[in-house]
Amino acid sequence: MIGRWIVGFAFFIHASPSYRRIKRFFHNLLENPSYPYKKFFDYTMIMLIVISVYILIRHVKHEVSPEWLYFNNYIISFIFLIEYLLRLWLYSDGSKIVIEQYEHDLFLQRPFRWINAFKLALASKRAYVFSLSAMIDLLAIMPFFHELRMLRVFILFRVFKLFRYTKSLTQFISILSSKKFEIFTLGIFAMMIIVVSSVLIYVMEANNPESRINTLFDAIYWSVVTIFTVGYGDFIPVTDEGRMVAMVIIVAGIAVISFATSIVVSAFTEKLDEIKEEKLIEDVSKINQFYLICGYTPLTQQVAHRFNKNGKNVVILERDKQKVVEAQKEGFVALANDSGSLNSYQTLQMDFEKQVIAVILLQESDVLNVYTALTIRELSKKVSILSILHQKENRRKLSLAGINEIVYTQELIGLISKEISGRPVAFEVIHALRSENSGVFIEEIGLDASMADHFLEASKLPLFHKRLIVLGIYKTAESSFCFNPSSTLEIKEGDVAIIIGTRTLIDELKALMYKKGKK
Amino acid sequence: MTHHSALVFGFNEYAKQIVLQIAGEYTSFAVFVMNDAEKSAAQSAGFEAEIFDLSEDWKSIEERFNIKELIVFCALDNDAENVFLTISLRSMFEDIPIIALAGDHESAEKMKSAGANKVMPILQITAGIIGEMLEKPTVTEVLHDIFYEDSTLKIAQITVSKDSFVVGKHLYDIDWGNEYDVLLLAIVDFQLGATFSFTSRGHNHHIDPDDILVVIGYEDKIAAFSKLMEVSI
Repeated sequence: MIGRWIVGFAFFIHASPSYRRIKRFFHNLLENPSYPYKKFFDYTMIMLIVISVYILIRHVKHEVSPEWLYFNNYIISFIFLIEYLLRLWLYSDGSKIVIEQYEHDLFLQRPFRWINAFKLALASKRAYVFSLSAMIDLLAIMPFFHELRMLRVFILFRVFKLFRYTKSLTQFISILSSKKFEIFTLGIFAMMIIVVSSVLIYVMEANNPESRINTLFDAIYWSVVTIFTVGYGDFIPVTDEGRMVAMVIIVAGIAVISFATSIVVSAFTEKLDEIKEEKLIEDVSKINQFYLICGYTPLTQQVAHRFNKNGKNVVILERDKQKVVEAQKEGFVALANDSGSLNSYQTLQMDFEKQVIAVILLQESDVLNVYTALTIRELSKKVSILSILHQKENRRKLSLAGINEIVYTQELIGLISKEISGRPVAFEVIHALRSENSGVFIEEIGLDASMADHFLEASKLPLFHKRLIVLGIYKTAESSFCFNPSSTLEIKEGDVAIIIGTRTLIDELKALMYKKGKK
Repeated sequence: MTHHSALVFGFNEYAKQIVLQIAGEYTSFAVFVMNDAEKSAAQSAGFEAEIFDLSEDWKSIEERFNIKELIVFCALDNDAENVFLTISLRSMFEDIPIIALAGDHESAEKMKSAGANKVMPILQITAGIIGEMLEKPTVTEVLHDIFYEDSTLKIAQITVSKDSFVVGKHLYDIDWGNEYDVLLLAIVDFQLGATFSFTSRGHNHHIDPDDILVVIGYEDKIAAFSKLMEVSI
């Protein structure tokens, strides 16, 4: 009966969309670094910790108002308690464990052993409870029992909680934890020296009436102070034997310090690339919109420079690390990831719908470009993909892979050659317009409803007339281009105006239309 | 000057596309290649090719073609060889128009120094087109139609004749769009220099004989305007 009730409840919870939604929300808030509201939660917790520690310090020599003490002892502790329970809840999925156990028993045709399921669920929670971070969290709640004055010291555990909310501190710990074995060896070595030197100095000095080292504790204290090269001077050996021990321990101390320094430095050096890459991934996730270029080639350099010049962000994916270093030296945002692998995009947490303006495939073979295009299409059906074509016969394959725009440079050069030999001046003029180096630009303006109403009227104003060329209006609905439009042309929302002029005049026209639209 | 003959050097994929595009434009043209592989590639594409080496003195060209009507495309694979070819041709033929391909901007500068009249830096052109396709798709489409498709909208360069009615007028004296349904993009004013100036720059040029006007318009309107330009009104 109890078993049926438990399984029923587990299935109900597992299938409940609102339960899942709430759990996902708290998971994002507490654990997901890319969740936009997590940082606000982290800042709030850091602020509470700072307040808590300030009250502790203030309370040593000054009176703290009862309201603040109440806030510290109850409110903050209560918030931390809630957080602790939420983390405990999120750590494992109890309902899933129960369902798995139920299905397991069902498969083996035996009655559901709910006690086993309960034990498994409890074991999974126990793993959390005994984790270091959870123990710190628990100790940080202790000041809740403020009647026990001694427990106030546990407020200091709240400082350790900072590790949860500050990434750099977490990184520091993770770097050091990669050198666990070395640190452990160093600890053993230091401990051995302390034990041996403490015993020796105690034996040599304790019976000498001139020596201040009278107890074993004094000897241990002196050893620790000496081995870590602090040397307060409050305890000093007075016998020759004692001084001999001191000389050995001083040399050993230098070895310990050097060993410790080398461990930390080597840990950081080894992890430096990883840290840099993590930072880069974080930076990329913060870019609102960018062009994603797959493959770093000389053409990539040119394309990326052009976009950067126009104030557009570019992110380059290249699996060859050497090329990534070259790209970074050029000042580009480049990541060492395989653009053909789904895993890369998951690691980078790239949002194609929101962040990527278009994907540009510039890898050195059509095979790689097709493969990458198919990978990206798995992630997004909408994002625009442009690819370079290397072999003319592969054009259809690229189209089938979902590439929207294909650039076949060789054909382009052929067409340009024809123009350049037939109408060299005309070609030069258009080339100058396209290259955007002449000070005169060809621009397209997407017209919204109010701009569509005012465009022709504005373009005929004396300021623009004869100096700003309205090449035509692209009628989006009819997919036709209306050259040199007359003032009677009906322009609709969504149509595109193509104009030629200096940057100042183009911007002035846009500003004027914007003002008219607002009126 | 009208060119009736064309020479294409090299037969890689770029040269092949150049040959395919210009084949119909010139009454005679020849393909010169540096090795047998290129020669057979040209033959399999339906073009006759002759083998040359960079040390040639090019007298055979002088014998076979009218140099004044000749245009040359240098499209060898290797930029250094292309530069050497350009400089060799320029040393022999001072006035021949040479159009050369260059891998990048750096080579393009060398091609110019070697005497090429026009240089096409492949990387920069491709990057420009990619950028334009993504940032200004409508502009790309319209310009592509004007240049490369069978559109009735065309771009033309019209030389101002001595008797033309526009001689002596300023650019802004004429409402080109309303009166002739053509748009004047630029002018090559030989009194100010051999390079073109955009009309949008705001300089009110004085139009002289032999100036070149770059206009966009429908084919029939350009034809009518060209005819009108030859007479004085």
